[in-house]
Amino acid sequence: MKMEDMPLSGPDNTKLEALVNDIYSELVEDACLGLCFEVHRAVKQGYFFLDETDQESMKEFEIVDQPGVDIFGQVYNQWKNKECECPNCKRLIAASRFAPHLEKCLGMGRNSSRIANRRLASNNNTSKSESDQEDNDDLNDNDWSYGAEKRAKKRKSDKSQNSPRRSKTLKHKNGELGSSMSADPYKYNYNAGINYEMLGPDEVRSFLTTCGVISEHTKKMCTRSQRCPQHTDEQRMAVRVFLLGPSAPVLPEADSVAGPESFDIPDGQALMSRLQWEDSPEISPSDSASSKASTNHSDSRRPKKKKRPPLGLNSGGGIGSLSGGGGSGGSQTNISLSTKKKKPKLTAPSISSIYDDLN
Amino acid sequence: MIMSKDYQLKASINQKLIEMGERERLKELLRAKLVESGWKDQLKAHCKDVVREKGLEHVTVEDLVTEVTPKGRALVPDNVKKELLQRIRAFLAQHTAL
Repeated sequence: MKMEDMPLSGPDNTKLEALVNDIYSELVEDACLGLCFEVHRAVKQGYFFLDETDQESMKEFEIVDQPGVDIFGQVYNQWKNKECECPNCKRLIAASRFAPHLEKCLGMGRNSSRIANRRLASNNNTSKSESDQEDNDDLNDNDWSYGAEKRAKKRKSDKSQNSPRRSKTLKHKNGELGSSMSADPYKYNYNAGINYEMLGPDEVRSFLTTCGVISEHTKKMCTRSQRCPQHTDEQRMAVRVFLLGPSAPVLPEADSVAGPESFDIPDGQALMSRLQWEDSPEISPSDSASSKASTNHSDSRRPKKKKRPPLGLNSGGGIGSLSGGGGSGGSQTNISLSTKKKKPKLTAPSISSIYDDLN
Repeated sequence: MIMSKDYQLKASINQKLIEMGERERLKELLRAKLVESGWKDQLKAHCKDVVREKGLEHVTVEDLVTEVTPKGRALVPDNVKKELLQRIRAFLAQHTAL
């Protein structure tokens, strides 16, 4: 395109100016035309007057320009000191704290579920430790054997709400239980103890230094020492037999029973033998009696038994319902446990009952 | 009477403006500044009056244009006008050997 060369002289300057002005005018006219088209279209489409209402409403929403008030006429911190009633707990909460309170109150926020879980975990812990205390243990045993299982049921239902992994039978979910308890069961300084379901044979052996009696309600092994006052040697033996089979109990009172599940052994003999061991001192592994047969064992102990009528261990009769195979044997023996120790009144029947229940 | 030279000059400058996109840019700049300054709202209010006057059904583009454009031109704020003139001059100075 060929451009004319124009020197910047006076008259040309004005021409130039005129030119500039012309260009400017064109631009402004374009803008005006644009607006006209816009308005015309709005009119014809019917939305031109949409932002207008009647005079009254217009006055109502006029822009407010007063100090201390926003353009709508509202005061800035009017609701700061107000209190709101919580629909859930019916308490009066400050407005600024209302939202966090609702979150906790309704249990719907992120934090609230975390806190609730933590609280439940600690509650479970404390409730379980109760179960290992003397009185509760007694009561629990009593409840169980006499059929008043309310407490036991309640405990179980509590657990099952939070941890669906629990079940009455031993069979399933071997590994899961341990993980939820604590990462390292060996560090579990908690009275209720370890969950025996998760242990393999090697681990079980290591636990044989502890009391190991399985609490009926928590299904956990007691981690106290072998002399723990809550459980009898009989219980400990039963647990070992149950866990390891007849072949390898560590306690000197090894009772090589036919099978861990059934207690249809000559109960009287076994019971008597076991009962005798309550008086025995600290168990040493060297006294392992794994090789002894039950009958031999019992026979050898029988004379001892006769020596100790004041032992007074009432295995079956005095206690009540001795379920399963224990009944026949129990009637033979008239040893009352109550004199021996406080807690394990019901060792014999309770053991059978444990296994019945577990089975 | 338009001198052919001037006419040619103007035409060529215009063409250059368009080709380089400067015209479009100037247009957008002007629009933005007019909206900013409230010119558009002012003029729109005037349009409303015109429409109400002429009747909603019968208003035409020509009506609006004839009513609105002169007012629009007059209502452009001075600073906007000055700035635009400045830019146009600058463009011309840059792109024409003047």
